[in-house]
Amino acid sequence: MKNEMIDLVDASAASSLELARRNSEPTLPNNKKSRNGIYWVQMSPALIILLLMTIAPAIFLVRKSLTNDSLLNSNSNFVGLDNYQAILTDASLLNSARVTATFVGIVVLLEMVAGLFFAQLLHKKSRSNSVAGALLIIPFAVAPAVSAMVFRELLNPNYGWVNYFMGLVGLPDKIDWLGNSTTAWIALIGLDVWQWTPFVTLILIAGMSSLPAEPLEAAAVDGANSWQIFRHISFRLLAPFIGIALVLRTIQAFKTFDSFLILTGGGPGDSTSPINLEIYRVALQSFRVGYASAMAIILLITISVLTPILLRILRRATQNEEV
Amino acid sequence: MLHIKKEGNVFGAKIRLALVAVMAIGLVAAMTPSNAAQKAPKQIRILYATAEANSAAVQSALPAFNKKTGVKLVMDTMPYGALQTKVFAEFAAKSSYYDVVIVDTPWSPALAQNLEPLSGYMTNKSLNNLAPLNAADFIPKVFYDTAVYNVKKPSQHYPKPTAKVDPAAIKKAGFDVYGLPIQANALALAYRKDLFEDPAQKAAFKKAAGRALTVPKTLDEFAEVAEFFTQPEKNLYGTTLMAGTGDWSTDDFKTLLAAFGGDGYMIGNNQELNFNSTAGVKALTYYRNLIKSGFTPPGTTSASWDEVATMFNSGLTAMTMNYHDLKLDDTIKGGVIGYAKVPAGNSEGPHFGTWMLSVNKFSKNKEWAYRAAQWLTSAEQSTAMLSKGIHPARNSVYVAAVKLPDANRAAYYRTLKQALAVGAGRPRLTNYGEVNAVIFTMVNNVATGKLEPKPALAAAAVEVTKLLESAGYKVSK
Repeated sequence: MKNEMIDLVDASAASSLELARRNSEPTLPNNKKSRNGIYWVQMSPALIILLLMTIAPAIFLVRKSLTNDSLLNSNSNFVGLDNYQAILTDASLLNSARVTATFVGIVVLLEMVAGLFFAQLLHKKSRSNSVAGALLIIPFAVAPAVSAMVFRELLNPNYGWVNYFMGLVGLPDKIDWLGNSTTAWIALIGLDVWQWTPFVTLILIAGMSSLPAEPLEAAAVDGANSWQIFRHISFRLLAPFIGIALVLRTIQAFKTFDSFLILTGGGPGDSTSPINLEIYRVALQSFRVGYASAMAIILLITISVLTPILLRILRRATQNEEV
Repeated sequence: MLHIKKEGNVFGAKIRLALVAVMAIGLVAAMTPSNAAQKAPKQIRILYATAEANSAAVQSALPAFNKKTGVKLVMDTMPYGALQTKVFAEFAAKSSYYDVVIVDTPWSPALAQNLEPLSGYMTNKSLNNLAPLNAADFIPKVFYDTAVYNVKKPSQHYPKPTAKVDPAAIKKAGFDVYGLPIQANALALAYRKDLFEDPAQKAAFKKAAGRALTVPKTLDEFAEVAEFFTQPEKNLYGTTLMAGTGDWSTDDFKTLLAAFGGDGYMIGNNQELNFNSTAGVKALTYYRNLIKSGFTPPGTTSASWDEVATMFNSGLTAMTMNYHDLKLDDTIKGGVIGYAKVPAGNSEGPHFGTWMLSVNKFSKNKEWAYRAAQWLTSAEQSTAMLSKGIHPARNSVYVAAVKLPDANRAAYYRTLKQALAVGAGRPRLTNYGEVNAVIFTMVNNVATGKLEPKPALAAAAVEVTKLLESAGYKVSK
């Protein structure tokens, strides 16, 4: 009797919901074509804004990249793919591309590993972890230009703290950090890892906090050790969060500019001169808009191609774990 | 008859009164700035630099202009990088927002066609009644290098760079004036006078070098004195050099290039790559050797102009070459700065670069913009700005400057004037920023020991050729 009553209530509720749904829905024509048309009309405001904000500038950029346009020169000519050809055969730009790729590869890898490590340490709810979580915001809340200036002071070979403290513990204390390629790279990578590891950590802490407890507890009951639990369960469940952090950091790392400009200025020589610094010189010092647009398009294509590849690699890695 | 006569007298008196009134109005109008053909605007907007062109000095003069004319001068200031972008963006948009714009010499070739030619304004007496123009008072080299262009051939320099400044002669030669110099910077040698006069140091130098310790005038003397003052046990080094990757290392290089007999402009009027020369090799070799020998402090190969200023100001070196003011830290007891021209070789050409005030071609208040620029760069105002540390571009201002009660500042101005009279500016290229990047990268590569001078110069010449050709220049082989 009780079950019948429940069924009756359920049926009644279901029919009420269906009725409500029908009433709330606009009356759509049965014809599929007409229905599609209405959907397009409904979506059009958002699509127009999206087109205006993203696609239109990209088209404009592509158009500019096919010209020899200069900011103050009204005689702009169509030059076809000349700009692209010049960029792809320019040894100094290829060096800049190498610098950018090396930088992105190293800092993203280090930040993902360090971020995962710190997230593992800090994700459990405790008062000290809450304080640590709040402190983590500080590095990436500081403007990159400011942190680069501070690092430059810290690394000053005559007055900087880094050499001073190295001297106190018996290490070499006259290192010209920014005057040598290797140490300049260490400085740049150190700055970026300091600034952006907390960002990765916070994303992964959010991810770990949302993981279901049951599979982890079950694995523990089954005798899995911490590493096994992390590797086979936590890591797999965290994959979407790792993916977000990986994609965001890769894109951000490609765009890094301030720290190169302020910390090393691309030096010594051109050993730390990334593609963004070259774009800056061409676009904002020589104002050769056409050439700079072509450089920006190449960078845009690189990031656009790389992002799905990274996500696919991550997905495959976690699927392998699942198998 | 009498009645008629009376009427005639009244009529004549009225005419006389009207004539007197018209003449009086005309006289008053002629004596006030509002006589200018253009109606006085409420304000003139100026886009200016920050510390690079001593904005504080210029700010201090603005209220006086308002008091004198009733026109307010409103000045926006920006640091170098942002300023360059802003200036170019304003002109690209043909914006009339700023009436007066500060222009640095490397930007001028690309900007010249957007700047109002001023020779006509300079010869119009009614536009120069706020302060005497006295164009001949400008230091010729500074004026021609900074402000005089042939807009059809912007890479050309004025053929008579030491001739007295005369707007009519400039116009006749096919050139025009595109601004009025306001802040003239030049590379000068600063040294620790107290160390050079220290009896113990003098005796030690005499013993080591066999001659009296004097302020170096030649490159050989400079290297010798730098070596002597390199006393790391006292945390003291001979000299600073600005060998980091940036405009500053180009400035060091071109100064040495000129000193070794080369062309201090590096690239000629017809795009001759004069830096790739025997003098270039000598300059780079000398530069590299100073650093390699340890006569410069750690950090030299990554130092900019402000970092070398800090090195010198904190007492780390006995000498420095810089184009900005220096002041020893209070912790250096008895420290005194002396100034001299940078050492010469068989010739000289210390780097200089001057900022000018230009009138925006798209301004709606061009005449008043000119009047503001002319007044701010006048001898009277430049003299008043001496107390704020302006680097004047007029001969008469230096007469006052070298008599300043502050002996240190007076000495600096004496040296600055000498340097400006013989200085070498930059090549006139629309893509100087990119060319400059190739050159300072090359200088830095030699300074760090990564490359040898000769192949470094040859490689840079190849890159510069490509850049010049991509910007539409025909490079002289």
